[in-house]
Amino acid sequence: MTSGARLIGLLALLAAWPAAGEGLFVASQQAARLTRIEAGAGSAARPVAAAPAVVAADADGRLYLSHPDGKAISVVAPDGSVRSLPLEAQPFGLAVEPDGRRIYVGDWSGNRVIALSADGAVEGEAATGPDPAHLVLGPPGRLYVAEREGRSVGVIDTDAMRRVGGFPVGDGPFALAADPARARLYVANVRSNDVTVIDTAAGRVLATVAAGASPYGVAVTPDGARVLVSDQHAAKVSVIDAAALAVTATVPVGHYPEGVAILGGFAYVANWFSDDVSVIDLATLRETRRIPVAEGPRSLAVVPRAPEASR
Amino acid sequence: MIRTLATLALFLSAGTALAHGPTPQKVAGTVTIKAKPDAVWKVVGDFGGIAAWHPDVAKAEATGGNAEGATRKVTLKAGGTLVEGLDEWKGPERTYSYRMSDPDLTALPVSSYSATLTVTPDGDGSRVEWMGRFYRGDTGNEPPETLSDEAGRAAMNRYVGDGLKGLKAKLEGGPTP
Repeated sequence: MTSGARLIGLLALLAAWPAAGEGLFVASQQAARLTRIEAGAGSAARPVAAAPAVVAADADGRLYLSHPDGKAISVVAPDGSVRSLPLEAQPFGLAVEPDGRRIYVGDWSGNRVIALSADGAVEGEAATGPDPAHLVLGPPGRLYVAEREGRSVGVIDTDAMRRVGGFPVGDGPFALAADPARARLYVANVRSNDVTVIDTAAGRVLATVAAGASPYGVAVTPDGARVLVSDQHAAKVSVIDAAALAVTATVPVGHYPEGVAILGGFAYVANWFSDDVSVIDLATLRETRRIPVAEGPRSLAVVPRAPEASR
Repeated sequence: MIRTLATLALFLSAGTALAHGPTPQKVAGTVTIKAKPDAVWKVVGDFGGIAAWHPDVAKAEATGGNAEGATRKVTLKAGGTLVEGLDEWKGPERTYSYRMSDPDLTALPVSSYSATLTVTPDGDGSRVEWMGRFYRGDTGNEPPETLSDEAGRAAMNRYVGDGLKGLKAKLEGGPTP
């Protein structure tokens, strides 16, 4: 009886979970939910393991969640099935190779980045500066890690799994965004209230741009022209002009905004305290709506395009 | 013994300095007060004046007034000191935001926090909302009970709750809790 009810519940859940495709996903840490945002509205939320902090996606639409207190990574397949990859670490930051064959995990209190195979086997690890926060992939073979208590961004050679260099940044680097077109890396510094701009091709710091209070999330528009930074303590988003390297607009959003993602002419901002997602029209730079989501949204991931039918 | 304790306290402070774990927690409290928003703001809006209304606070030493970057060093009656910096202060909107500069686990068992206090009209009176985000005292994977998420929540909820009760009592002229 009970197992029957459970099975029906599971089927209902799977039926409600849309198949993969271009889309935007939000992880709610307190509520342990993953929500798909579709056509500007939250369409389906599914339960996941406790306290997911960061969500990342690969090109095939698989979603990856880190569980710092649960010592695991969840992998949600496009069909809705979930695998848990246990990891003896405090997993926080995530980056995944587009083909999903390698998962990079920051171990917050372990001061290292771990490379996992798709089935969760540890393939290597690299020591980092203190408190590795967010990770982002750069050019082939390069991974960047925000070293929150090191005032630095570490450069990891992903073949050797070794830290091969670093950039000095502001105080409390937390979030990262890469712009492959301009070979730039944007680093949000929580405590110095600014964004460090790094020229990754030249290997040097290009500029430091003053932002609002506690920059906590960052995303670059696909054309690389604008950088959106969530100012966590100011309940707004600062818009940086990538050419001028200065804030040219601010957009009020919900309380304690954190993750920012961009899809199809809109920016989406996870408002951790307000339990909703702000939608910003990039043409007008105005918040057009707020989508309620489960408690504690922090991180967003974009699945860029529909996977091939054969997959 | 005293020396050992002092060393331990220093060690704890240094070990968790600016720590910022992966699992943030919420704290939020509201109170309605039978006084006009401007009157409430006059009391609560002065960043350095917290000792005048928060019953848990013994004294506050402030620098910088209500300008961005101002600081206050808040000494609690129960012991411990909170050093806080002002991020934003908006008089016309009756709101300010601040964050902890240095953790002191003897004051509050949390490693990092930020908070916003806002006064809004509510009928003939006012509503005060005090909300924040914090991280447990030990941000590692196996925190001791005294530095857990639960311990942090209990302490922060108590601190905010006591403060709002004290503010209401001061403005409405009732007995101080």
